Amino acid sequence: MIQKFFFTREFRRYPFFFLLLGSTLLLGTLGLVSISIVAGQVKTQLENNAHNLLTSDFVVSARRELFPEEQAKVSAILKDKNTYQVTDLYSMVSHPVKNQTRLVELRGVEGAYPFYGDITLQTGKFSTDKFYVSRDLSELWNIQIGDILQVGEIQLPVQGIVINDTSVGLRGFSLAPRAYIPLIKLTEAGLMKRGVTGGFARHFRLPGLSTEDLKKIKTEIYEEINDSAVRVSLPEDSSEQTGRVIHMISNFMALAALIGLVLSLVGIFYLYQSHLQARLKDLCLMNLFGLTKTTITSFILAQYTLIFFIVMILDLLIVIPGYKIFAPMISQSIGLDLGPSLDLMPVFSNLPFLFGLSLSILVPLLAGLLRTPMGMQLKSAKISLGRFRFYDFIPFLLLLWAFSWHLADSMKVGSLFFASLILVFVLSTIVVRGLQILLRKTTAHRGLLLPDLPTGLALKSLARSGHRLTLSFLSIALGATLISLILQLDRMIQNEFVWDKNKPGLFIFDIQEEQIDSFKAFALEKKAPLDAITPMIRARLIKVNDEKFEKKKSSYSMRSKEDDDDERVRNNGLNLTYRSYLTAAEKIVEGEPFPKEPRITDGPVYVSIEKRWSERSGIVIGDKVLFDIQGVELEGVVRNIREVKWTSFYPNFFVTLEPGMIEGAPKTYLAVLPTGTREGKLSFQREAAEKFPNISFIDVEELVSKISVLFDKSRKAIEIISYLSLLVGFVILYGLSHDQVYRRYYDIALMKSLGIPAMDLRRNLLIEFGSLFFVAMSMGLGLGWLIAQVLGREIFKLGLTIDWMRMFVPGVFLLTLCTLTILVSSWRIVEAKPRELLSQG
Amino acid sequence: MMTVKNLRKSFGEGSTRIEVLKGITLDVVKGETLALVGKSGSGKSTLLSLLAGLDRSDHGDIVVGEKNITGLSEKELTHFRAQEMGIVFQQFHLVSTLTALENVLLPLSILKRENAREKAEALLESVGLSHRAHHLPSELSGGESQRVAIARALSTSPSVLFADEPSGNLDEETGTKVMDLLFEMVKKTGTTMILVTHDPDLARRCSRTVHLEHGSLT
Repeated sequence: MIQKFFFTREFRRYPFFFLLLGSTLLLGTLGLVSISIVAGQVKTQLENNAHNLLTSDFVVSARRELFPEEQAKVSAILKDKNTYQVTDLYSMVSHPVKNQTRLVELRGVEGAYPFYGDITLQTGKFSTDKFYVSRDLSELWNIQIGDILQVGEIQLPVQGIVINDTSVGLRGFSLAPRAYIPLIKLTEAGLMKRGVTGGFARHFRLPGLSTEDLKKIKTEIYEEINDSAVRVSLPEDSSEQTGRVIHMISNFMALAALIGLVLSLVGIFYLYQSHLQARLKDLCLMNLFGLTKTTITSFILAQYTLIFFIVMILDLLIVIPGYKIFAPMISQSIGLDLGPSLDLMPVFSNLPFLFGLSLSILVPLLAGLLRTPMGMQLKSAKISLGRFRFYDFIPFLLLLWAFSWHLADSMKVGSLFFASLILVFVLSTIVVRGLQILLRKTTAHRGLLLPDLPTGLALKSLARSGHRLTLSFLSIALGATLISLILQLDRMIQNEFVWDKNKPGLFIFDIQEEQIDSFKAFALEKKAPLDAITPMIRARLIKVNDEKFEKKKSSYSMRSKEDDDDERVRNNGLNLTYRSYLTAAEKIVEGEPFPKEPRITDGPVYVSIEKRWSERSGIVIGDKVLFDIQGVELEGVVRNIREVKWTSFYPNFFVTLEPGMIEGAPKTYLAVLPTGTREGKLSFQREAAEKFPNISFIDVEELVSKISVLFDKSRKAIEIISYLSLLVGFVILYGLSHDQVYRRYYDIALMKSLGIPAMDLRRNLLIEFGSLFFVAMSMGLGLGWLIAQVLGREIFKLGLTIDWMRMFVPGVFLLTLCTLTILVSSWRIVEAKPRELLSQG
Repeated sequence: MMTVKNLRKSFGEGSTRIEVLKGITLDVVKGETLALVGKSGSGKSTLLSLLAGLDRSDHGDIVVGEKNITGLSEKELTHFRAQEMGIVFQQFHLVSTLTALENVLLPLSILKRENAREKAEALLESVGLSHRAHHLPSELSGGESQRVAIARALSTSPSVLFADEPSGNLDEETGTKVMDLLFEMVKKTGTTMILVTHDPDLARRCSRTVHLEHGSLT
C-alpha cells in the first residue's frame, strides 16, 4: 500500500512535478554524459593505438643524442638487439622546380621501423631506406613521385606518398607536415649539427614483457641515468601525450557541463522543496498513522533514486544514437577516428559522482523533514517544513568540489571552478539581500503608487519575497556568467591569435654559432635585418639548494594535470639564455632585475626564472641552483621571477642568466624576422634555405592561424555545452517562474477581483521579474567578463579589454527570453476568472 | 439597488453538463443586508461570483444601480467592480507581500483616490488594527486578517459588499467578534451587503434571508 502510494499514486497525481523534475535532471546530466562518452572514446582509441603511436614497446629519448655511456647503460639493461633509432628534426625543405620552401618535420628512420602500426603508401610498401612525404605536404605542393626535393645540403627524389600513418595521433595538430627520410641521409644532409632542435629516440621491441615489467625497467633506467634530459616512454605515455590537448578541452567542456548540472540541482532543490511543502499534510497524516519519519524519508529517497536511474537510461537512449550520428563529424574535427563501437565505462565511472551529487542536494530538505514535528503540525493552521541549516549543504558542497576536481583533472582548476561557483552564489545572495534591504528602506512607508500601481506592487513584492527570489536570481546569474565568460574569453583569444604587426614574420631557429655573422649579413643584404637575436644554450638543472633535482617518479593511477606539469618540468632538459635586459614580452613580478653593469665575481651567477616554471618546479627567489652546461657546472642564485607573454612569438626562456658568465658555452641562436609580406617571407626562406640549409623558419602568421583554428574548434565545443547549460537554466527558470506565478495564483485573482486590469497585472509581473532578471543578468555578464579578464591575465598575460557588443547582445537576448518565459508561464493565470477565490458552496 | 433577472449558469460539457443556477430572479434594495443560505452545492457561491462580477452568467441580467453588468466588457467590469463592489472572502485573501495598511490601501490606489493613505489608516483604526498596520499577513492571526479584509472591502465605499462565509475560517469567539464589527461597519456606512453563509445565527442578523436549493430560490 505504502509502496503503491510513493511509486504509483504520486507519479499519477503530480505528473507535472515529476516531468519537470525528470527533464531538469535529464538536461543537467545530458552534457556530462555526452562528454564522458566522447572523451572516453578518444581515450580508448588512443590507448588501443598506443603501440602504433609509439611504434615500439619502449623508448629512451632526449633532445640530444644519447651519450655513449648512456647508450651502454641502456643496452646493459635491455640486452636486446631488437632496436632502431628514430630522429625527429624540424628543417626547411625546398621544391627547387616549384620554387617552394617550408618547414617540414623530418623523421629519420632505420632498420625495422615501425615495430607496430602501419605506414600506408599511395603505391608500394614502406621501407626505411627511401624518402617519402606525407599527403599533407604532397597536396600542398602538388608533389608527384619522382619529384626532387632539397633537404639540407642534399637533393632527394620522392619515392612515395604516405596516405595513412598510425604513428600520427591527431591529424592537423602538428606544427609542420611530416616526411620520412633514411636516418643516414639526415647526417649526409648536414642537418645533424650540434644543438639542433629535435628529438633523438632509441626504440626497443620487447615482446612478452608486461606493462608492469616495462615500468620496472623504466625505473631502473631512470636510476642509472639521472639526467633530466633523458626520458623513457611507454605506449601508455604516448597515448596520454597525444591526447593531452583533447583531454584538456574535454575537461573544460565537462566543467561547462557541470554548471548545467549545478543549475539543474538548484532547480531540483527548489522543485522538491515546493513539492514536499505541498505534500507535507499527507506525510504528517502518514506519520500520525504510524509511519516513522525515517521510513518516509527512505521512500522519498527511493522515489528520487528511481527517477535518477530512469533519467540515466534516457540519457543513454539519447546519447548513444546521437553519438552514432555525430561521431564522423567529431572524428573529422579532432583528426582521430573514434570508431563505431561505444565504450560506456566512462559514463559508469562518473555515475557514483553524478548520483551522489544529485542525491546530496536533497539532504537539507530531508534533514528539514526529519526535524519537522509532524504530529504537532496537524494541530496548527499552517503546516510548514522544518528549517534546513547551513551544515546540511556540506555533503553537497564537498561532493561538488571533489567532482569539479575530478572533471578538471586538476586540483587547482577544479578548486578555482568551485570557488567561482561559490562566488556567484555568495554574490547573488548579497545582491538580492542588498536589493531587498534597499527596496524595503525606500518603499516601506510610501504608498503603492511608485509611481504607478504595477511598479509599486512589483517593488513591494521584490522587497519582501524570500529565498525563492535568490534561486531565480542565481539561475540567471550563473547562466549569464558562463555565457559572458566564454564570449569574452573567445574574443580575447581571437585578439591574441590574430597575426598583427607586433608579432614577428618569421621565427628562426637552429642558427649555428659560426653562421650567425654571415646570416646577419645575408639578412641585411635582403633588407630584412634580424631582430631579437638570442643565444640558446642546452643545460641541465642538477641541484636546487644543494639537493639533487630528482626526476619525478609519480604513480600512474591518481595522477592529475599538476603532476604531469611538474613531471614535464623535472623530466625535460632545459634551454636557457643570457641577457641583461627584459624583452617587451617580459615583466619582473618578484625580486630585483640583473645589475645594469656586468659584474666581476666568483660567486653564483644571477638567475631569472619564469613565474609558472617557478610554481611547477617549486624554485623561489634566493634558491641556489646548480646547472650542468654541457659538462661544466655553474652555480646560480635566483634573483627574480618574470612573467612572460609567450604569445608574443619572440624568443623567450624559462630560465635566463645574467650576461658575462656563460658566453663561452656551445650554443645556437634564435632570431626573428620582423613583419613582412607573404611573398617577401617566402623568398627570404627560399634563399636562406639554399645558403644555410640547416637553419629553420616558422612562419608565425601560419602558426597563429593554425592555433586560432584549434582554439576555434575548442571554443565551439565548449560553447555547445555552455548553451546546453543555459538551456538547463531556462528550463529551471520556467519551472521557478511557473511555480512562483502559481504561488501568486490567489494574489493575482484577488487583485483582479479588486479591479486591477489584466494588462496591469502583466506589467506588474514583467516589472518584478524583469528587473530581477536585469540585475541578475548584468551581474552575471559583469562577473563573466571579470573572470575572463583574470584568466586572460593569468594565461595569456593580457591587459583589460571589453567587448560591449558581446555583453549587450546576449544580455538583451537573454533578458527577452527570460521575460517571455514569465509571460508564457503567467498567461493562463492572469487570464483566469477570479471565482475560485470564493468558498465552494 | 440590484436587480437580478432569470440568471442561469451551467458547468461542464455535453452529458456531464450541470445546471447550477436555474433562472434566479432577485431584487436587493439599497442599505439592505441579505443572507443567502443553502446547503453545500446549492449554488450560493456561484450566485455570489456572478453578482460580484467574478464570473459570467450563461443567461439573464444583473443590474446594479443603473448598469447591467452582464453586458460589460472584461475591462469595464473590472473597473466597475473596483468602483462599486467590495468583497470579503472566507479565506481572507490578503496580498502576502503587502502589509495590513497596504492591503487596505490597495483598492484606493487602484482607483487613484485622494488622501488614500489617511483613509486607509482611519479604516484600519476603525477595525482596531492600527498597531498592526506594518505587519505582513503571515504575521497576523485569522481574526486580524479578516478585520483587515473587511477594512479593505469597505475602503472604496462600495455600493454593495459581498461577504462569502466571512466567519467560516474563524473560531466561534473570534467569528462573533469579527461579524459584530462587520455588521457595525455596514450599518455605519449604509452599505448594501449580500452575505453567503451556512450559519443560521449569522443569517438571522441580516434584514432578509433567501434560500437557495438545487440552483433555485425557494
